[in-house]
Amino acid sequence: MMLMQGKKITPFYMAVIFLLIAGVVVSILFAVTFGSVSISVQDVYSALLYKLFHLESLSAYAKGPTHDVVWLIRLPRLFLAVAVGGGLSVCGVVMQAIVKNPLADPYILGISSGASLGATMAIMLGIGAFFGANFIGITASAGAFFASVLVVTIANIGSRASSVKLLLAGTAISSVCSSFSSFIVYFANDKEGMQTITFWLMGSLAGAKWYSNGVVFAVILAGILFFITQYRNLNMMLLGDEVSITLGTDLHKYRIFYLLITSVMIGFIVYSAGMIGFVGLIIPHIVRIFFGTDHKKIIPIAALTGAILLIWTDVLSRILVPNSELPIGILISMIGAPCFIYLLVKKSYGFGGAS
Amino acid sequence: MKIKCVETSAILGGKEIVKSVTVDVEEKKFIGIIGPNGSGKSTFLKCIYRVLKPSGGVIYLDNTELNRFSVKESARKMAVVSQHNYYNFDFSVQDVVLMGRAPHKKQMERDTAKDYKIVYEALKRVEMEGFAPRAFSTLSGGEQQRIILARALAQQTECLILDEPTNHLDIKYQLQILNIVKNLDITVIAALHDLNIAAMYCDELYVIKNGSIMAHGVPKEILTTGLLKEIYEVDTKIIEDNETGVINILFSPSMT
Repeated sequence: MMLMQGKKITPFYMAVIFLLIAGVVVSILFAVTFGSVSISVQDVYSALLYKLFHLESLSAYAKGPTHDVVWLIRLPRLFLAVAVGGGLSVCGVVMQAIVKNPLADPYILGISSGASLGATMAIMLGIGAFFGANFIGITASAGAFFASVLVVTIANIGSRASSVKLLLAGTAISSVCSSFSSFIVYFANDKEGMQTITFWLMGSLAGAKWYSNGVVFAVILAGILFFITQYRNLNMMLLGDEVSITLGTDLHKYRIFYLLITSVMIGFIVYSAGMIGFVGLIIPHIVRIFFGTDHKKIIPIAALTGAILLIWTDVLSRILVPNSELPIGILISMIGAPCFIYLLVKKSYGFGGAS
Repeated sequence: MKIKCVETSAILGGKEIVKSVTVDVEEKKFIGIIGPNGSGKSTFLKCIYRVLKPSGGVIYLDNTELNRFSVKESARKMAVVSQHNYYNFDFSVQDVVLMGRAPHKKQMERDTAKDYKIVYEALKRVEMEGFAPRAFSTLSGGEQQRIILARALAQQTECLILDEPTNHLDIKYQLQILNIVKNLDITVIAALHDLNIAAMYCDELYVIKNGSIMAHGVPKEILTTGLLKEIYEVDTKIIEDNETGVINILFSPSMT
């Protein structure tokens, strides 16, 4: 019997979590040896060991090109991959619960087109240039945040926001934002700018820096930990508003609250890595195929799985085409979509239950 | 727990569906609400379980106005089993029943061994304890409804509201569910569509049509050929079982 007095976390589940954490660590250690500059594995680890433990014998690695590549380029990038992958996956899980729809991803409620509009305005019109070097990222995440606030506000006009109203308002705001983006692109008639926008929208982890990583990591981690504690409400969201009221929870305010938290998380992800699609859509489904729907279990698993996925896709994006780097978003869709289709067919999965 | 609805009205889509309904439910009574489709039974119950806001009247739980309770507090006082309980999600049976503990939990509070014990006992009560790890969506309609009843039991309330809980269920499961409920010995308000079942289980019946109470009393006294003709527009013959004293309503095909 799985259910016996108080046996809530099974050893199996603990083992899965442990393996996934180990998987993240091993992936980082492995992935750090890959890159466009060829550095021997021994040099990479020597540089790492020196940085971590300041061993006298390795002091030769205290500075120089090896140190810079490993410590200032590769490692921040890997940590950003962990934060972005984990954050996108958890936001996907949460967003699917909020709108009670399996097609939802972290970008669904106007966030993606809000971000594109922000990026377009920054690139084409120079809006937000006073934010400094990464003003495109900042303007884009501001665009994402405002779009989702707008969606929530619209969905609340008249009657209270239901999942359907949120989805419809999200779709409408998406159209408005993307038509304005197109409008700007059309009139700016700037070929170079268009290329920048396209590249930016495909997402990349190349811009990772330790100082900005710290903030992104903290925000994402706090967000994920928060949502782990909210598993009961998230579970109830899938049952619907009426049932939840009879179970003592009025979901309305939580829906809005969670939405704002995810849009802050997504804002930071967009700021540091642009738009990386598909992770937030498939990881939640893949995790549900194997571990069911209970959010208490699937949020930690989704976070870790997403992190591992992004580490490895980033490695591939760096080494697949020699001397150039593929946008990570393209690669994820290329590999992820077929895998997802395979799982769908193989496991006859329908957002949980028998469909 | 006592429930008292005084002149409760409800408006849906601009139309008054429930018109000044007064219902008085005493401690540990099994109250049935019967009436034709669209008579307002469900709408009235929704006012009690707070999915709908009444447009008029007052509802009291144990002499305190319902509005004074938070939804969490009222969910500790009454649990609901309604007719639609199909979830297209892979929740396990245990997960579903565990949600019945939600009203007893603070934000961020974890599920304890005690919660799991209550869940197990609720499942045992509906004779589904072996189903805990199964996926809810793979169960039959009758099994699912028993799980939902177990969830309501896990809420540990003094009152149960049943909103046509046995719709679409085979007779075996209808009787099984109502037997379990009857044996709980708590206050029950049930909207029922099967008159024979209502007569069998209910201590008192309220007959509702077009949103108004047409009759109220002990089943044997109010279920008469005349009333059923008036309410449902069908001809009936009512016989009493000599052994059990339960009345049986026979329907005649001759429609007028």
